[in-house]
Amino acid sequence: MTFENPIIRYGILIVTAALLQYAVISQFRILGVSADLLLVLAVAAGMRGGPDTGAIVGFFCGLLLDCLTVTPFGLGALAYLLAGVCGAGLERATVHSARWLTMTVAALSSMAGILAFAIVGAIVGDGDLVNGHLVTVLLIVALTSSVLVFPVLAACRWADPDEDRIRAATR
Amino acid sequence: MAKPSGRTRLTIILLVVTALALLTVDGRGSGPAATVRNAIGSVFAPIGDVAGGIIRPVRNVWNGAFSDTNYEKENEELRQEVEKLQGEVIANEVAKSQLQQLLELVGIPFVGEIPRVHAGVVSGSVGNFGNTIEIDRGANSGIKRDQPVITGKGLVGRVIEVSDSRAKVMLITSNNFNVGFSVVGTSAVGVAKGQGNNETINGSNLDSRQKVQVGQIAVTSGLGDSVYPPNLPIGTITEVRNNAAMLESMVTIRLFASTTDLTYVDVLQWEKPK
Repeated sequence: MTFENPIIRYGILIVTAALLQYAVISQFRILGVSADLLLVLAVAAGMRGGPDTGAIVGFFCGLLLDCLTVTPFGLGALAYLLAGVCGAGLERATVHSARWLTMTVAALSSMAGILAFAIVGAIVGDGDLVNGHLVTVLLIVALTSSVLVFPVLAACRWADPDEDRIRAATR
Repeated sequence: MAKPSGRTRLTIILLVVTALALLTVDGRGSGPAATVRNAIGSVFAPIGDVAGGIIRPVRNVWNGAFSDTNYEKENEELRQEVEKLQGEVIANEVAKSQLQQLLELVGIPFVGEIPRVHAGVVSGSVGNFGNTIEIDRGANSGIKRDQPVITGKGLVGRVIEVSDSRAKVMLITSNNFNVGFSVVGTSAVGVAKGQGNNETINGSNLDSRQKVQVGQIAVTSGLGDSVYPPNLPIGTITEVRNNAAMLESMVTIRLFASTTDLTYVDVLQWEKPK
């Protein structure tokens, strides 16, 4: 059995990211906030494969996060799919190819995902999402996402090798 | 920016609708979502245990560098507190014995007799939201949803989700946390609610004709359908605000138990009387 199908490879990436987030990354916090590998994967998949890949990978990343947390079920799926679509949209909108642009796209898309998570969560009645802590979460997740996006983009290139683009190859 | 194709739009719309349907259907903590969460929790827990053991030394160094806790100062404060507490132990033993006698007289079971499960805190929330912790005991140890969680100092939370070997605890500081409380020495009762602050919670619905004062102690009331037994210590009242028009007082309660840097907790195997 080969694992060349992008669906299987993205599946492996999502489960690996969830395990790493659960067992390792969530243990290392700055001001009570940890990096969000599942969110970075959603954004990177969008940047790599376009809006539908970003939406699908984001949906399943968020769904897995929903299984590991106690926030309303489906909230992560909705927020992370939006982050994946946002990553794809911003990536397509940029004209130049540069590392700082990749970092900026990752940071902005991650912030969009976190904001969507907090706002929709508050709308459906979770009182723990919109407060002063949100600003800290936004800043630290944006910062860590902008660094983690490079290895995660490389993993997405492994998952989806047919989508190689000249711009991506120059990074 | 290229316009998304019709297929892309359809995919995104379908996923958004599915996510919204999940959000709508899920009754948080019940139904199929709880089953899926329990199953995934049971699969991930052993991996988390192994990884936790391996990375503990690195995590300790990391926490030392990035935690906002001043450990030297905290150590000194703890040393002083231990000395003070040693002096109070004897006095407390006498008071405990007297309290037990009084509670027996009025037919209330003494809180200290409720069976408890000692559990280690494995981690905080996996995500960046939610005032929750995960503990290393679950249904296999007799833990059930809604059981109160305490430390030696008082109430810290309530079990909100249980898998075979793990449980998630909502901390008392969560905005979603409510507990009925009474003020020791008065007949005042009210409802306390977390506010996302690690040190205090707010109490409301107190009858303003009751003489509640700063410095008095708030404990769980255990009234009505409360999932908490009576007399679990919550904290000290640090502020009283009267609303004359509403005949209501609101209070700020400074928590006895710290909810930051929790290492071990006890889950009370308390079930509300039927």
